[in-house]
Amino acid sequence: MTFLDWTILVLRVALPALILPGIVIPLVWYERRVAAFIQDRPGPNRVGPFGLLQSPADILKLFMKEEVIPASTDKLLFQIAPALAIFAALSTFAVIPYGGTLSIGGRQIPLIGADISIGILYVFAITSLSVYAIVLAGWASNNKFSLMGGIRSGAQLISYELAMTTAGAGVILAASSFKLSDIVSMQQGTWLGFIPRWNLFPQFLGFLVFFISTFAETNRLPFDLPEAEAELVAGYHTEYSAMHFGSFFLAEYLNIMVACAMTATLYLGGWSLPGFDPHGVLGVALSVLIFAAKTGFLVTVFIWVRWTLPRFRYDQLMRLGWKVFLPAALANLFWAAALEMWRMAK
Amino acid sequence: MDRLIFDVAAVVAVLFAALMVLNRNPVRSVLALVVSFFFLAIGYVLLWAPFIAAIQVIVYAGAILVLFLFVLMLLNVPLEDVAGTEPRPIQQILGGAAILLFTIGLVELLSGYGAKNVTQAGAMDFARGRIGPLARLIYSEYLLPFEALSVLLLAALVGAFVLVEREKRP
Repeated sequence: MTFLDWTILVLRVALPALILPGIVIPLVWYERRVAAFIQDRPGPNRVGPFGLLQSPADILKLFMKEEVIPASTDKLLFQIAPALAIFAALSTFAVIPYGGTLSIGGRQIPLIGADISIGILYVFAITSLSVYAIVLAGWASNNKFSLMGGIRSGAQLISYELAMTTAGAGVILAASSFKLSDIVSMQQGTWLGFIPRWNLFPQFLGFLVFFISTFAETNRLPFDLPEAEAELVAGYHTEYSAMHFGSFFLAEYLNIMVACAMTATLYLGGWSLPGFDPHGVLGVALSVLIFAAKTGFLVTVFIWVRWTLPRFRYDQLMRLGWKVFLPAALANLFWAAALEMWRMAK
Repeated sequence: MDRLIFDVAAVVAVLFAALMVLNRNPVRSVLALVVSFFFLAIGYVLLWAPFIAAIQVIVYAGAILVLFLFVLMLLNVPLEDVAGTEPRPIQQILGGAAILLFTIGLVELLSGYGAKNVTQAGAMDFARGRIGPLARLIYSEYLLPFEALSVLLLAALVGAFVLVEREKRP
């Protein structure tokens, strides 16, 4: 490999990791503005044009604040937990294809960090590790509220991970591949000339289960029990201050983007659109924009739901996860298998 | 390059496994085991078995050890008190003998294999990161052992319930 090849490889892997934390800044502003719109109030509109500089100001504040580590905490684990949260959120992006294949000067550059043969399993594996960040934060804080939040989060993540993975298995079956690039390419084209071949249509049940489970996986309303402020102060990050808290905050928004990007890739055709074949630099840039638009739409749904639905009770949450979503995900898996057998028989 | 990463991952995995045993704080022990499993998964990736690596992280590091951690946190297990429990001489002798025996066995076993066999295993078709041939083997030739294993796990589950029930009744 020449120096240029190395540079391209590093850029492919590092670009999402460098750009995405930057996107979080306007994303926080966007959420606050949408929330304000839903609640019929102006929202942040004083700092900079349209209040756009509010988030940078808040982040600056977080950096400037004093870092307080309570005396009775487990110092090492207390400080590792936020870093772990960001690690889990960022490393997922490495396998998500975010655009078509760029060809410059005879080089083929697929816009994906690493197109590994177990892409979707890698995402599930990293997601299953992200639970440690919250459980550890809760335990290391040495605080009742934090511990309750951490344990709730652990139980919730494990319960919904099961339904989410089973729903994802339907997509794996339809694509007969674990590669996310294969999953995107099998969703190109149309049925009957006008329905896009997205997994959304044949596996609508799977889509519902997967997308709603991601709400629980990212600890967002209506499933934000780990940080239910009415009962637990702030849950697992009660004892955290300044940028340690900021890391959890950043990780939460990164996780929302991961969840939406994964849903867009698995069920909405990723960067592809029917009848669109990315050619040249402009076409590939357009494919990145299509992917961003699909992800952005799902992020908007996330925010919309947050300001619309009240929080679930804990027993309702568990009942929904085990008694509704898991059977629904299994039914979807059988349905996907039946479709696949029918397709093979044809 | 691959060899270097593999060696580093192997050393770190063994190091954290030792840390798991030596640590007095049970929660930290579990965490050391998580790190050890993670680096073991890196080893699997470099042996052309990415599927096994992913399953290793999802099932062991991501699910089973989280449950371990749960139990430890809910019961709030105290630090192990090492000071008052000096091992008896017979324990020391037997323990030392066991370590010696294990080391000899391990060296004997490893000298039979070695790096040559690792590359041979990597050249095998089904080990080349492909999952289809592995699935075919599991669901045809090894179907009976595979199913028997799951029944074994079920038996362990039932056994745990029986033990709990017996304790409840006076």
